Amino acid sequence: MLKILIPTLLLIPTSWLAKAKWLWPTTLLHSFIITLFSLAWLKNTSETNWSTLNPYMATDPLSSPLLTLTCWLLPLMILASQNHLAQDPLVRQRIYITLLVTLQLSLIMAFAATELTMFYVMFETTLIPTLILITRWGNQMERLNAGTYFLFYTLASSLPLLITLLALQNKTGTLSLLIIQLLGPIPISPYVNIIWWTTSLLAFLVKMPLYGVHLWLPKAHVEAPIAGSMILAAVLLKLGGYGMMRMMLILSPLAKELCYPFIILALWGVLMTSSICLRQTDLKSLIAYSSVSHMGLVAAAILIQTPWGLTGALILMIAHGLTSSALFCLANTNYERTHSRTMILTRGSQMILPLMATWWLITCLANLALPPLPNLMGELIIISALLGWSWWTIIFTGAGALITATYSLYMYLMTQRGPVPNHMISMNPSHSREHLLLTLHLLPLLLLVFKPTTIWGSAY
Amino acid sequence: MECPEGVLLLLSFTAIFFSCEHTVPELEAQLAAMRKKAADALPGSSWSPFDINPNLPPERADIVIIGGGVMGWSIAYWLKQKERVREGVKVIVVERDLTYSQASTVLSAGGIRQQFSLPENIHLSLASADFMRNINEHLGVLNEDPVDLQFNQSGYLFLASEEVAHIMEENYSTQRQVGAKVTLLSPTQLKEKFPWINTDGVALASYGLENEGWFDPWSLLNAFRRKAMSMGVIQCCGEVTDFKYTVSMMTSPGGDPVVYKRINSVKVQMPKGLEYQMVECAIVVNAAGAFSGKLAEMLGISSNPKDTIAGTPVPVEPRKRYIYVVHCPDGPGLDTPFLIDYSGMYFRREGLGGNYITGASPKEADEPDTSNLEVDHQFFEDSVWPRLAYRVPAFEKLKVTSAWAGFYDYNTFDQNGIIGDHPVINNMYFATGFSGHGLQQSPAAGRAVAELILDGNFKTLDMRGLGFRRIMAQEPILERNIL
Repeated sequence: MLKILIPTLLLIPTSWLAKAKWLWPTTLLHSFIITLFSLAWLKNTSETNWSTLNPYMATDPLSSPLLTLTCWLLPLMILASQNHLAQDPLVRQRIYITLLVTLQLSLIMAFAATELTMFYVMFETTLIPTLILITRWGNQMERLNAGTYFLFYTLASSLPLLITLLALQNKTGTLSLLIIQLLGPIPISPYVNIIWWTTSLLAFLVKMPLYGVHLWLPKAHVEAPIAGSMILAAVLLKLGGYGMMRMMLILSPLAKELCYPFIILALWGVLMTSSICLRQTDLKSLIAYSSVSHMGLVAAAILIQTPWGLTGALILMIAHGLTSSALFCLANTNYERTHSRTMILTRGSQMILPLMATWWLITCLANLALPPLPNLMGELIIISALLGWSWWTIIFTGAGALITATYSLYMYLMTQRGPVPNHMISMNPSHSREHLLLTLHLLPLLLLVFKPTTIWGSAY
Repeated sequence: MECPEGVLLLLSFTAIFFSCEHTVPELEAQLAAMRKKAADALPGSSWSPFDINPNLPPERADIVIIGGGVMGWSIAYWLKQKERVREGVKVIVVERDLTYSQASTVLSAGGIRQQFSLPENIHLSLASADFMRNINEHLGVLNEDPVDLQFNQSGYLFLASEEVAHIMEENYSTQRQVGAKVTLLSPTQLKEKFPWINTDGVALASYGLENEGWFDPWSLLNAFRRKAMSMGVIQCCGEVTDFKYTVSMMTSPGGDPVVYKRINSVKVQMPKGLEYQMVECAIVVNAAGAFSGKLAEMLGISSNPKDTIAGTPVPVEPRKRYIYVVHCPDGPGLDTPFLIDYSGMYFRREGLGGNYITGASPKEADEPDTSNLEVDHQFFEDSVWPRLAYRVPAFEKLKVTSAWAGFYDYNTFDQNGIIGDHPVINNMYFATGFSGHGLQQSPAAGRAVAELILDGNFKTLDMRGLGFRRIMAQEPILERNIL
């Protein structure tokens, strides 16, 4: 664990001491090396599932895919931000990279934490760099509003979680994940246990986000700069899912009745947010609502607590992380050229940037869960698990899958096909950096087709 | 020794006791102020800790329309009309003078005619007249007063002398073919219809029967503006002083270097002061009227060699024209058309009290100075009145009650509008250079530009003939009926 954490920590002095010409290549190269080392986490040979164990941190088949995804994303964020930060003064570029690295550190420690307290502290720590990214480097006045929504939604829902964790520590004497999974049902007085159940999950439900408390997500995703959008969509949402999966181990007998309203809300959210996607004019907003839609499926799957549900949730989280981040990168390539996120004004780019159209096609197909990509695997497993839980869910999940396909194709056709507007005829050609960025997003996705057991998690 | 908190408490009570000698209204005012402060602190209020000038335009917009005249607002309206989903595009209109003291729109005589020689012009005016006849269908806003353009459909009357009568006949057949309702009158028919005309020297007259006349330009401008703002267009009062653009050097297939420019943001300066805002935008529309040429110069066009595509300047410059309001109680009656004489003089009825608006185009050599809008009354005495009195004898006895001057956005190349995108500046669209007939073509021209931007091509009327190509290729399409 330290062999990843120390290099990541030392990326901060690297970003401050590197010469201006070498700042971006250096940080890129070093974060790539860290990523390569982090791939070793994916191999799990332990019998108890926990490996790379030390008193504070460990990885297990649930957290290692997420950890690898987090480490994978840092070089991609650095690649994506290079262009739009080029005109900022050097000090600001260094601060930006420092913020990204801090975020990375807190995320690695959050996913690798063995104590729920450390997980909680790191969960809150991720808020600060993200908030700074959104409010300082966002593009419009609305970013202040977006930052406020983001901060206060997460904060307000996670403070009750702190109380719950403290009460849990008091009652059971421990908050270590290794021990908690072996505890039996925890006796709590009859009405308080409902509150206790809700508060322990609320923070993660808001982070996922669940449909009723999802308002912060479209704002934050749209107003954030590209690296902010990438990390938000790919990893920060998964913090919520991961937290839920860990917490629900101790919530067992209650969950059977109490999860009901949240599953309904999640499934209804899948349907509603996919429909909203069809009416969006802003490309980033469309991708943000698509994230809410996919995460609704994940939330429902985690809540039913079956082995297939948890497996499907994890596969979909990883696949969606890569796909959503790739979509934001594609939207950013459009934005950097035309300075507009409105879909009506940026049409017909297949004629002008054909290779970028290929990436658009693959990513949109991944978004609509095309076999044999892991997106489909995840969705299929989740839909089957939900079907086993109740026959009626097929209405929501089936309609959701249909509308997902509709808006993914709509997004592809609106941006790539159609008449080329006059003002787009002579756009800058695609940079190799952008092609590299998208290849690095889509390559893991394609490789996962061949060995999905790496991201199956411990439930299977 | 009393504890310090007690002393403080005692002091505060004393203070409150002594301050109670304030009167009740003052206390109420204080309470209202406190309530207002509390309301500001709650969410939903627009208070913000940053003390930013609220008049600044937003930091980014999709389409920036430079120029808040009738052309600019028409384009804004049509963009919103065609956007298909609510808030599809973010449009802002930048106008530097909201009193419109120098804008061509409001200083115009307000006439509309289809009697052009170019089919594109006829189409534009015909479509615009149709728009204005049904204006409340298009520009009516719920719960607001209906739009009243005071559209007097009294028609235009062009008089031709012997030398130019054949041109008038050719124009007449073009106009009829396109669909304008025009008729030709011989001098006797003319005298029969309008007995106050002196038909000496007139060989042929062309009279518009429908969709021609005059209207109130200020009402049209306000109607467009009100409707567009109700649909979400943001109005900004400021002046565009600079552009930030990226340049890409390419070579054409023939081997010549071509420099493409793409506007990244527009610098909008606040009217009285140093504050400015860089508005990041995807598309810029140049609807600045008489000042379009100067605006395009900010993009550094003139720094390129003169005979290349990139170096061709936008050939629009302001030309000053005078309008005189005269009062003649014995003048022509209420059915007076907008008469245009072959000598360049024109007049029309204004209101019902025997007032008329008149003017004339100066010769090319005597163009007045365009640095101000001062009226030259000698011009009326020398050039306008003699021709007026010759054509309409009743006008020998008249009194000039007022006069004003306005700018034509004069297209020095061929005096016809330029509608379309620039070949070298990628994301700038033009709707300018109409040389005196912009107001009457504004609804249809606005629609054409909106179609170009949102649909990629002209859909209802094909205005490719009015694009920039003709200027690049140096092929003027001259309009033979310009006054």
